[in-house]
Amino acid sequence: MEQIRSATAAAVICRQLAISFDEVVVKFGDFHAMGPTSLDVRHGEFLAIVGPSGCGKSTLLNLVAGTLVPSSGAVAYKGNGVAGINHDVGYVTQKNYCLPWRTVEGNVRLPLEFRNVPPADAREQVRDALAMVGLLGFEKAYPKQLSGGMQQRVAIARTLAYRPSVYLMDEPFGSLDAQLRTRMHEELLKIWQETGATFVFVTHDLQEAITLADRVVVMSKRPGIPKLVVDIDLPRPRDIIDIQASPAFGAYFKTLWAALDVH
Amino acid sequence: MAIDNRQPARHGWRFFVGSNTFLQVLVGIVGLAFWEAASRSFDLDFWISSPTAVATELVRWERSGHLWVDLRVTMTEASLGFIVGCIAGGFTGFVLGWTQRLGDILEPYIVALYSIPKIALAPLFVLWLGIGVTNKVMFAAMLVFFIVFFTTYRGVRSVDRELVQNAWLLGANRWDIWTKIAIPYSAVWMLTGLRIALPDALIGAIVGEFVASDAGVGYRIKEATAFVNTAGVFAGLFVLLLISLCLLSLLKLIENRTLRWQAGDGAIATEPGH
Repeated sequence: MEQIRSATAAAVICRQLAISFDEVVVKFGDFHAMGPTSLDVRHGEFLAIVGPSGCGKSTLLNLVAGTLVPSSGAVAYKGNGVAGINHDVGYVTQKNYCLPWRTVEGNVRLPLEFRNVPPADAREQVRDALAMVGLLGFEKAYPKQLSGGMQQRVAIARTLAYRPSVYLMDEPFGSLDAQLRTRMHEELLKIWQETGATFVFVTHDLQEAITLADRVVVMSKRPGIPKLVVDIDLPRPRDIIDIQASPAFGAYFKTLWAALDVH
Repeated sequence: MAIDNRQPARHGWRFFVGSNTFLQVLVGIVGLAFWEAASRSFDLDFWISSPTAVATELVRWERSGHLWVDLRVTMTEASLGFIVGCIAGGFTGFVLGWTQRLGDILEPYIVALYSIPKIALAPLFVLWLGIGVTNKVMFAAMLVFFIVFFTTYRGVRSVDRELVQNAWLLGANRWDIWTKIAIPYSAVWMLTGLRIALPDALIGAIVGEFVASDAGVGYRIKEATAFVNTAGVFAGLFVLLLISLCLLSLLKLIENRTLRWQAGDGAIATEPGH
C-alpha cells in the first residue's frame, strides 16, 4: 500500500485509534469480497473511502457496525474487538429506513427512545438534529409526504440526534441534488468541527471525498484492498467553494483519479 | 378522509336531489316499498314477510323485554369470543411469524386444522363445554383465532429485516424491536384480520346458539323458525345487521386513528426556503 503523508498528519498518527482493521478478509463462500485489509482510523479523523462499485467499501462499514463478521483478521473499535451489533456508532446507510408510521420527529426520536433519554432532553436533541439538516418545520410530516432527499436528511438527523462519537456514512448524499449536496457538505463539516467526532465516509465521488476528508483511501477493484492512502492537506475550516477552486484540490483529484483506475 | 375538490360546491334542490346520500336513501325506500308491495299483492307474507310485519315484530320483541336480554347474551358471547380469539390468534401468529423455524414447522398443521369446515365442530364444542355461554364464546373465539392468526403471521413475516437490523444499530433491544418495529409494521395486516374476524365472532355466537341455547338473537331466530314466524326470523336478521354495522364502524374508527400515516398520498412537502 502506497502512502502519501504530510508533515502535519504525522503528528496525529500517535493519537489513540477509533477503528483498526488488521488483515481483515471477507469471503462469502468462494466469493472473495474484500481484503486482506489493514487500516487505522484515528479519533476525530474524517476519513473518506473511495473505490469502484463492489470493492467492499460498504463491507468495511458493516464490519465496524458489527452486522458482518470477517472471515479472517480482526476489527477493533476503540481498542476492543467488535462482537455483535455495535450500538456506539452512528451508521447512515444509502437507504433511509424511515418508519412510515412515524412522523419526522418520531423517526428522529426513535434512537433516543431506544436509549431511554428523558423526554425533555430528547425533545431538545431532536430539535437540534432537525435544525442541523434544515428540516425544522417538518416535524409533523410523515416520510411519505417528503421527497427522497428529505427522507435521507431525516435519516441523518436520526443519527445526529443521539450524538455518537463515530459516524459511519455510506454514500449518504447519493440521492440528493447537487446544490443540496453542497449544503449538506457544509453542514457535515460544521458538525464534524463542533462535535469532534470521527467520520468514516464511503463515497464514489472523488470531489466529495477530497472536500470533506482529512485522508482519502482508494480501494482497488474486487477483492478490494486499500491501494492508496492520501492525506488531504487543505486548510480547515474549509470553505467548500474556495477549496474546490484551489490548485491543490485539482492536484489531489488527479492523483486519486489515476489510482481509481476506472478504465 | 380526502374531500373531492373537483366538484364545485352547489346549493339548492337540484344539488340535493343529485347528491349520493339522497340517492342512497331513495334506493332504500324504493326497495322497502317493493318488498311491501310484493308481499301484499302476491300474498307472499308467509315466505318473505313484509317491512311492516317485521317492524311490528321488532316492537313486540322489545315490549316483551326479550330483545335486550337476547342482545346482551349474543353481544357478550361474540365480544368475549372476539377478544379471546384475537389474543390467542395474535399471540400465536406473532410468535410463529417471528421465529421462522417454528413457523415453518407448524404452519402445515394450522393450515390443515383451518381447512376443516369449522361449523361442523360446533356439536363438539357442546360436548366439551355444555350449552352455556362458554361454548359460544369458545366457538366464536376459534373462528376468530384462525383469521387473526393468519393475518398476524403473514404481517409479521413481511416485516422488513433490513429495517429491523437498522433498529438494532440504532440501539434497540428485543422489546423495542417488537413493540416499535414489528407490531406497527404488521398493524395493517393485523387490523385487516380484525376486520374480517369481527363478523366471524358474530357468526360463531349465532351458530352456537342455533346448535344449543336458551337465549340470544340466534336462539330467537331458531325459535321463530320453529313457529313458522317469518317476520320473527327477519326481525332477528335485522338486529344482527345493526349489530355488525355498529361493530364495523367502531373498527373503522380505530383503524383510521391507527393508520393515519397512510393517508395524505403524494402530498410532497416543499423544501424549506425553496
